[in-house]
Amino acid sequence: MSSTHDEQRTPVAITTATAEDPHMQPLARNPERTERIIALMMVLGLAGFVGFGVAYWFNADPWVYGATIGAGAVLLGAGITAWGKYLMPKGPFVEERHDMAGTPEEREAFAAAVVQRGGGVLGRRKLLLGTAGAGLGVFGVVSLFPLIRSLGPLPGKTLTETDWKKGSYLVDQTGRPIKTSDIAVGGVVTVFPKGYQDTENGQAIDQTILIRLSTTDVTTRKGRENWSPAGYVAYSKLCTHLGCPVGLYEQQLQLLVCPCHQSMFNVADGGYPTFGPAPRPLPQLPLYVDGRGYLRARAGYDQPVGPGYWERS
Amino acid sequence: MTTTASTPSSSSDAKKEAFGPVGKVLGELDDRLGIAKGGRSLMDKIFPDHWSFMLGEIALYSFVILLATGVFLTLFYVPSQALVVYHGSYAPLRGQHVTEAFASSVNLSFAVRCGMLMRQMHHWACDIFVGAIVIHMARVFFTGAFRKPRELNYTIGVILLILAIGNGFVGYSLPDDLVSGTGIRIAFSITESVPLVGSYLAFFLFGGNFPGTDIIPRFFVIHVLIIPLIILGLVSAHLFLLVRQKHTQFPGKGRTEKNVVGAPMIPVFAAKATGFLFIVLGVTALLGALAQINPIWLFGPYEASRISYAVQPDWYMGWLDGALRIWPAWQLTAFGHNIPLEVFLPAAVLPGVVFGICLAWPGIERAVTKDNATHNLLDFPRNRPRRTAAGAVMLSFLMMLFIASSTDVLANYFKISLNIVLWAMRILVILVPLLAYPITLRICKELQAVPEGGKRKKPNVVLRSAEGAYTTVPVETRPGDGHHELEAEPVPTFIDLDEDDSTDDTDEGVRRVDR
Amino acid sequence: MTNTSSLRRLVLPVLVLVVAALSGLVLFTGGSSGAADTTTTAPVVVGDTVAQANAQALISPAPTHRAADATGSSSPKVAYQTSVPNAGTPNSSVRVYRNGTLAAYGNRDISYWSPNKALIPLGQALYQQNCASCHGNNADGVPANGTPGGFPNLRGLGPATIDFWIESGRMPAANPREVQAIRKSPRLTHTQALAVVAYVNSLSPATPYIPRVNRVASANTSDGFALFALNCAACHTITGGGDALANNTYAPSLRHIPATQVAEAIRTGPGNMPRFTGNLTDAQVRSIVGYVTINIQHPVNPGGFGLGGLGPVAEGFIALLLGVGVLALVGFWIGDRT
Repeated sequence: MSSTHDEQRTPVAITTATAEDPHMQPLARNPERTERIIALMMVLGLAGFVGFGVAYWFNADPWVYGATIGAGAVLLGAGITAWGKYLMPKGPFVEERHDMAGTPEEREAFAAAVVQRGGGVLGRRKLLLGTAGAGLGVFGVVSLFPLIRSLGPLPGKTLTETDWKKGSYLVDQTGRPIKTSDIAVGGVVTVFPKGYQDTENGQAIDQTILIRLSTTDVTTRKGRENWSPAGYVAYSKLCTHLGCPVGLYEQQLQLLVCPCHQSMFNVADGGYPTFGPAPRPLPQLPLYVDGRGYLRARAGYDQPVGPGYWERS
Repeated sequence: MTTTASTPSSSSDAKKEAFGPVGKVLGELDDRLGIAKGGRSLMDKIFPDHWSFMLGEIALYSFVILLATGVFLTLFYVPSQALVVYHGSYAPLRGQHVTEAFASSVNLSFAVRCGMLMRQMHHWACDIFVGAIVIHMARVFFTGAFRKPRELNYTIGVILLILAIGNGFVGYSLPDDLVSGTGIRIAFSITESVPLVGSYLAFFLFGGNFPGTDIIPRFFVIHVLIIPLIILGLVSAHLFLLVRQKHTQFPGKGRTEKNVVGAPMIPVFAAKATGFLFIVLGVTALLGALAQINPIWLFGPYEASRISYAVQPDWYMGWLDGALRIWPAWQLTAFGHNIPLEVFLPAAVLPGVVFGICLAWPGIERAVTKDNATHNLLDFPRNRPRRTAAGAVMLSFLMMLFIASSTDVLANYFKISLNIVLWAMRILVILVPLLAYPITLRICKELQAVPEGGKRKKPNVVLRSAEGAYTTVPVETRPGDGHHELEAEPVPTFIDLDEDDSTDDTDEGVRRVDR
Repeated sequence: MTNTSSLRRLVLPVLVLVVAALSGLVLFTGGSSGAADTTTTAPVVVGDTVAQANAQALISPAPTHRAADATGSSSPKVAYQTSVPNAGTPNSSVRVYRNGTLAAYGNRDISYWSPNKALIPLGQALYQQNCASCHGNNADGVPANGTPGGFPNLRGLGPATIDFWIESGRMPAANPREVQAIRKSPRLTHTQALAVVAYVNSLSPATPYIPRVNRVASANTSDGFALFALNCAACHTITGGGDALANNTYAPSLRHIPATQVAEAIRTGPGNMPRFTGNLTDAQVRSIVGYVTINIQHPVNPGGFGLGGLGPVAEGFIALLLGVGVLALVGFWIGDRT
């Protein structure tokens, strides 16, 4: 018994095996029964595909399409695989790996050709080699110019500036200017400079978050004494980590949390980060209240908004 | 069918006659293409059929599904950031100004028959594609299949992984919804963070400041044309090298460095491969039907001032997101310049180092083991404890980073403070890989030390003597239970068809059979 | 050639013809109607219809009429100040006075009403039983042992605040020392809650009153979606599942919350939630409430099982375990094991 088992596990070459060889026999103990089972799987697979066609005709719910074609494909695939595994010659078969590498003579001849024919020829005309090489090199470099430089404008000052200027009205996304009496303590609004709320730059770069704190809670940083009238503070909504809008405000903790990577900024103390990966505080927009009660910017931001970059000093 | 034998090439007539119409066609093809010899050897080509060699096939078939479903999607998707008013069937979006990219993706999902299925199959197939590449790469790594002569193939594989991840990111950003749009904003900031050239690179890539109107159409071209072409080329090279160098195999009965044991291409391997293709297709279709993925209509269009919480990228980008979350708030500001290290290091340097180590590994192993021999037989992972432990370190490191990308979900689910979870992840990301090395090393050595470790255990009969002492006696092995076939036995290096010594079955290795 | 064998030869061509004919039918007539989806879910009104009935019973059905500000009558304090009209304060299109005090105000979108004064004695008794031990006998946050500032002062917060905390079950708190009180089934019935609201409000009358969002089912969910995405998704997530915030606080899930409590939370900003007063008009709040109760709470999931709305994290697990895992197991079946 064990020697037959050994024989069966020993691989043969398929080119020389006869039809009676046990390696050419199917793996299944009862091939007829196996064939019937596999045929049933294939028929069920076919039924699945027909089901897909029917579902398509009747404009069925979306899940029905995938369920029919999926079940059909799994069954058909399992049938074909089972055919290969159980009913085809079970093997194992063997073939030789012929050395890919050449003989030592062939390798020498190849190396000789490369060195003598190739290198020798090039080496004889060093001037031509140098100039051709230089030409190819420069071609390689300048051909990249359109692929890189033509794609977009130079950054210039775009990253350092926003549309906030001295006197800009703070408006919400519908364009309505905010008055100091509008928002209750503990309220938060996303604001834009007036006229820019519908522009791309306004939405993406100028976006500012306006929060009303009680006046007793604010720690005034040096130089910012008059930046927060009536308890209102305004910070750039662009996180200084990766630029996600910092829309998550916790009014009792007085924390702005960035939803992307959970940097936390202390709203009552100049927007300084207290936790998380953000390295710099949120730039603060200085505010004042004009004669009619509207909140306006005292000036633009005193630093570039958003994440860091090389030119950001 | 009669033919006249009046042509000079009577042998070719004989060729054409032998197997009827099929033989005639093959003969004509051979006259033009010379396929007879190569075709026969291709059909006889032997593929080892260990189950772990099927993992790369999962990736290959997923790629085929991606191509097929992707073509369908390109027929409906509009790669434009121009604003339109949505007038489709999903009520909460009606009347909103959305980009054409978003509107076309939502319309494809709701208003095109089988559109939802195709979109979801495409997305599931992508997740499975990258997952299959990763476990296939792990199999290749742990069994040492990257060694000579297969270093080039391994390198192509790692590049395929990088391209697959990149293409996946670009692809799921195409619908321009709130979740993926946030990812694009983050990509802009990461590009910006590169020292010296960051802002230029970002502006060139986006055609200006964020968001601009160029990025979605450019992502479309990258996703549909540029990267798939490169992947197609590299996959073809990968498969060509595999066929040329022949697949590796585990040591076993009749298997040596100089042969391949397994199943022939036609019919067995072709049947199994075709069947597996349909099974992969079927599983992907079932997932696409029954499990919703990327419901962009629930997220709404991307607008730069909107953000959602609990937003993670797709799983294969999760390790980068986790690194970004746990990295300390370092930055370098000097001489009027700023290097945001808390962005540049985790998002640019870290993946460079990780993939760099992957690409350099064949060289590293060659330098450490001083082994420059050709290897066609695989290692069992336990027989290479240091390599296995190193792989475990890398995998556990990436796994911890992946877990770190869901800090808020973990904090919410387990009701722990978010701050504590973050600090815990910072510590675990260092600690777990450090512990993984000695633990894995130990497990490998233990498995090696146990005779027949990892194999089926032999039962013992317990006997008690009259004095009360217990002894064990191993049970007789049943035929077929013996494990001696796992030792490689030498096999003659060629099979001589002319030898007629066929009845000697004490020869080890291949049995020669009379014709 | 026998008859059976000639019949057998016909099988394949006939089969091909049948498949071709059926396919042609499907492809060129398109099957049944168009390509639109047929899975529009009928919006379910999740509103406190019982509460509305109760509320109606409590306020005598006075016709809505405009009334001048009754000078000298006790106007309640505006707890969360805004000067914007129709934003949850008495500064609204319609005001209803009864016995000189403001009983209700609002507009077509949201009506704000206050519980009947008749409930005050019941409310006082319930308050003493359930609330006084922490919030103090005078609802000023000074508990029985006299330490001030230990618990919130309930005076002057308005009925909506008190009603929200009690009817969402957060109060009485399961663990008063916890950072954030969890939502659980309310300890008081609706009428009892209104009674406590009436009593506490009587100590220091204030607004906002309890909102009743009118005709939620016909709210503009498109506006609601846009407003939700801008104002609410940052904490509650875009699918409304809630998530953990800083220092052991969290934004709760919105999936099982009645319309009134959504409006109350928006207007009063409970706990760490910011309050939206002048920055959202009643029409906007109604749109948001409509979006939350219709679309967040009954999401359209035609793609299959929604995976809890957890996004790519859940999708990744399914792809790796169910996708790659199952396929690897299939590979285990197909391949050899030696």
